[in-house]
Amino acid sequence: MGFTKVTSKVVLADVRPGAEVLARRGAMLATTGRITFSPVVGGPGGGTYGGGIASALARGMQGEAVPLMVAEGTGTVHYGFRGHHVTIVDLDGSQPMSVEADRLLAHDASMSSSVVFLGQQGGLRGAVRGAVTGQGLFTTQLSGRGSVALLSHGGTFTLRVGGSRQVVVDPQAYVAHVGDLRLDVATALSWRDAVGRGSGEGVQLKVSGEGTVYVQASEEKL
Amino acid sequence: MAPTSPQPLDPQSLPDHDNLPDNPHAYCVRLTGPLFVQTGRMIAYYPAGGGTIRFEPLTATSMTAMVAARFSSPLYSRDWVVADGQGHVLLGDRGYDINSYDLDDGNLTVRAANLLAFDAGLELKESIIPGFLTLLGTGKFLASSSGPVVFVEPPVRVDPEALVGWADCPAPSQHFDAGWMGHFLGAARGALFGTRSGEERQYDFTGAGTVLLQSSERVLEDPHVVRRLEAEVQQLGPNQLRHLAGVIQSELQQHQQ
Repeated sequence: MGFTKVTSKVVLADVRPGAEVLARRGAMLATTGRITFSPVVGGPGGGTYGGGIASALARGMQGEAVPLMVAEGTGTVHYGFRGHHVTIVDLDGSQPMSVEADRLLAHDASMSSSVVFLGQQGGLRGAVRGAVTGQGLFTTQLSGRGSVALLSHGGTFTLRVGGSRQVVVDPQAYVAHVGDLRLDVATALSWRDAVGRGSGEGVQLKVSGEGTVYVQASEEKL
Repeated sequence: MAPTSPQPLDPQSLPDHDNLPDNPHAYCVRLTGPLFVQTGRMIAYYPAGGGTIRFEPLTATSMTAMVAARFSSPLYSRDWVVADGQGHVLLGDRGYDINSYDLDDGNLTVRAANLLAFDAGLELKESIIPGFLTLLGTGKFLASSSGPVVFVEPPVRVDPEALVGWADCPAPSQHFDAGWMGHFLGAARGALFGTRSGEERQYDFTGAGTVLLQSSERVLEDPHVVRRLEAEVQQLGPNQLRHLAGVIQSELQQHQQ
């Protein structure tokens, strides 16, 4: 189980029967051993790997669908995608990870994934956040034990949130989060300034609660 | 703690003025006074002690007098904000490497697109070279580069795309390669178009000082260069304008082919 870092932009996955790996289609760089790839219909959580038709449908409609493939057999696979930085996160299963589908490079197939309506994370405010920040109204949630490889522009760093400590993140730089976190949209400047600039400091995500936020070191979306 | 790697950062473990551990692309500034920041470069921030950090556009700030004295560039004034408050501010720029520089009663000119932030001890002016900004005085500033910065001493001839900036030496002159010059001297104007190798124009540095280079990078279309040209066009007469229109027409046709 798990991925090994090869370079800052390439990870190596060990594939065995019972330890299949789901990855974004087109992310395979090289394989050794006997590995077969088959497409997974419906993005994360679709097809034979958890989830359901309803969630797949919802995703397809809302753009939270990234075509996935599953690697089966025995051997190793190198994964990378368009020269983006890759960050490996190991989850112990106690807390789920929320991540946008287009940030997901690969994860252990044993983890279950589902698509969450942002409205469930903080009611209407969550939905407003998705619409305002351009993240869409859905996000992918991964739970269980396993390893996840995240894509980012410029590499990620992690920020801890807890107690009275609050952190504010640029929506373009937000990658994922783990734990019981609340994300609220705050407009620091006037609405007109925010619209005029796009990636300016106009719209910010206020993160509070207990957990960890993954942030990329660049304000460019993938 | 759920994630085992990488180690999460918090205000206790964040550096005060340095790149983040193992990440040359992100930089943390401990904000204690006003800081000029290019819009969009702020990635995250931790306000200290329950306070807030404000990002105010230069056109609508409460520190008008300070901004007017320090930021002498109307062309770029819409692209910058003043950050003020207490706490840690994390900056990033397109995944480029970020470096901090200290100026001690000196001057440094840097490509405008690569300048991330500078503290209010420094004064900003527009360079004579379009697309570059000059910092004067004493203080810290942050600049980005595509790959690590290489420091070179003049005399040196530099590809414009690789130039990040220069310090303490006279402004560069332009150098044109021999083939390019030959076309002009031979009046072979018809043969001029389509002969660009990409190396025909270089910047020539002489005198004492330091030149900062990055791995070559396609220069983004800088809207400010156009605005600056517009201002100069107003000084032309009708005949010159007509000639310019012709030149622009033929350039456009080149691009369409």
